[in-house]
Amino acid sequence: MAANIYIGEILENEEIQEDCFLMKVKTAPSFQNPLPGQFVMIRIAGLNDPFLSRPISIYSFSRNENYCVIELLYRVAGSGTRIMAGLIEDSQVEINGPLGNGFDLLSVKENIVIIAGGIGIAPLSMLTENLRRTHPSSTMMVYKGFQSASTVVGLDKMRTLCRNISVCTDDGTLGEKGFVTQIFQKDIKQFPPERTSIYACGPGAMLKSLAKILNKSKFSAQVSLEERMACGVGACMGCAVAIKDKNGALAYRRVCADGPVFNLRDIISE
Amino acid sequence: MHNPVMSASGTFGYGEEYAGYVDLNRLGAVVVKGLSLKPRLGNPPPRIMETASGMLNSIGLQNIGVDAFIEEKLPFLRKYDTAVIANIYGETYDEFKKVAKKLSSAKGVHALEVNISCPNVKKGGVSFGTDPKIAARVTSTVKDETGLPVIVKLTPNVTDIAAIAQAVEKAGADIISLINTLTGMSVDLKTRRPHLKNITGGLSGPAIKPVALRMVWQVIQKVSVPVIGIGGIMTAEDALEFLILGAKAVQIGTANFVNPHATLNVIEGIKNYLIDNKIRDINDIIGTFQP
Repeated sequence: MAANIYIGEILENEEIQEDCFLMKVKTAPSFQNPLPGQFVMIRIAGLNDPFLSRPISIYSFSRNENYCVIELLYRVAGSGTRIMAGLIEDSQVEINGPLGNGFDLLSVKENIVIIAGGIGIAPLSMLTENLRRTHPSSTMMVYKGFQSASTVVGLDKMRTLCRNISVCTDDGTLGEKGFVTQIFQKDIKQFPPERTSIYACGPGAMLKSLAKILNKSKFSAQVSLEERMACGVGACMGCAVAIKDKNGALAYRRVCADGPVFNLRDIISE
Repeated sequence: MHNPVMSASGTFGYGEEYAGYVDLNRLGAVVVKGLSLKPRLGNPPPRIMETASGMLNSIGLQNIGVDAFIEEKLPFLRKYDTAVIANIYGETYDEFKKVAKKLSSAKGVHALEVNISCPNVKKGGVSFGTDPKIAARVTSTVKDETGLPVIVKLTPNVTDIAAIAQAVEKAGADIISLINTLTGMSVDLKTRRPHLKNITGGLSGPAIKPVALRMVWQVIQKVSVPVIGIGGIMTAEDALEFLILGAKAVQIGTANFVNPHATLNVIEGIKNYLIDNKIRDINDIIGTFQP
């Protein structure tokens, strides 16, 4: 088994936007190359408060001979991430990873559509980096939605990865005014369903709206989910998501070990 | 058993989830996630919430069912030189009986742990564990079906845990383990709704250790069968507290989530404690409590 626990040393933990932080962690070279969509469980080394580790998706990863650097782009959502945000350079963290199944990269079609809401950009940024390298002949279109211009994150980097980016904000302070799914829906006819791969990550309402748009279409979409987790390795069954099983019946799957990437069609939203 | 340290049910999956982190051969025993006759869906999410020095869960005994366990999970565990303890759950006496029977004829199960203490299921679970008469009947029902040692796991959500312990001992329990989680809840200030969909859940983690110690102490004074101490053990020092009280073994639960190496750290830590204090045998420390 590839995932393990590593001590990481914080190189940088910078607030790049209000309540959004970019953490760069240096760790041992034995850390396995993560796949886009995988995550780590992170905690402050030697501290039991916050009690549980926090699941954070991997934003970027690089290695050289002597060490690896894991980049985590995260939003302060509660007490745990608030404490994480206070960590300074050289602080030590414990990292368990890489965890979960990444995006399915075996059946990438010639049209790639990436739909990100807010901090959902984090795993999709790494995915974009990967797809651009592995599928240079596919055309790529990125839709990025934010609440307002003051909450934009990860856009500069995305601009270096993809030329076709449509940006929108809920309040119209940057790009088009509207929800990212609405903006995508306006363009949907450009994409032949059978020859398009859609990847999405964002708030529950965004995924729900995307599911509605794609409901009767032939598009298939892979989405990365977020849920509170205790273990991150499939043991506690805490991070359950309701899905339709093979026979169409309700089942609960673990976001950590069965996901975090799921087929949007299988997810049962409330 | 190589040592008195086991994983607690529900916190270690079916063993394989942690096999990449922990050499299972080094554990005293692996206690697997509670098994029911039929697969169980579990409760709707959200199922967990962090609390001060602990967490709440309302998983609802999601499990693959006893048949799938025997077929798909047990062969993996058989490869290891460690005791496998199957935690079992039923909604009725009959279900307890059937699950016990199936596991007793399966190769590679060393003991049964009877779960009469899950707070998160509507039927059975904790209701079997709060009435001494019912607890005794579940115990004797399982006992009648199996030649394996029967461990009965008690709930702390009772007024007199020693009375339940005495009742299950009388009914034939070979070993008593305690405690399961304490019922609790948590409120979201933004939505004014519970953090858990199930409203209430079971509290675990270091927050409950003093309660667990108190209950283990109460039970140990009233029964003569071996007791396994469970509740909030994070370190070897925590485990030693239970052993000094008289627990013959301990189970490590929620600590596994926080640190997948927790069981091994406890085993190493106990070893070092014995060396540092020039104690040759772990049994020389068990039950040495000076009230």
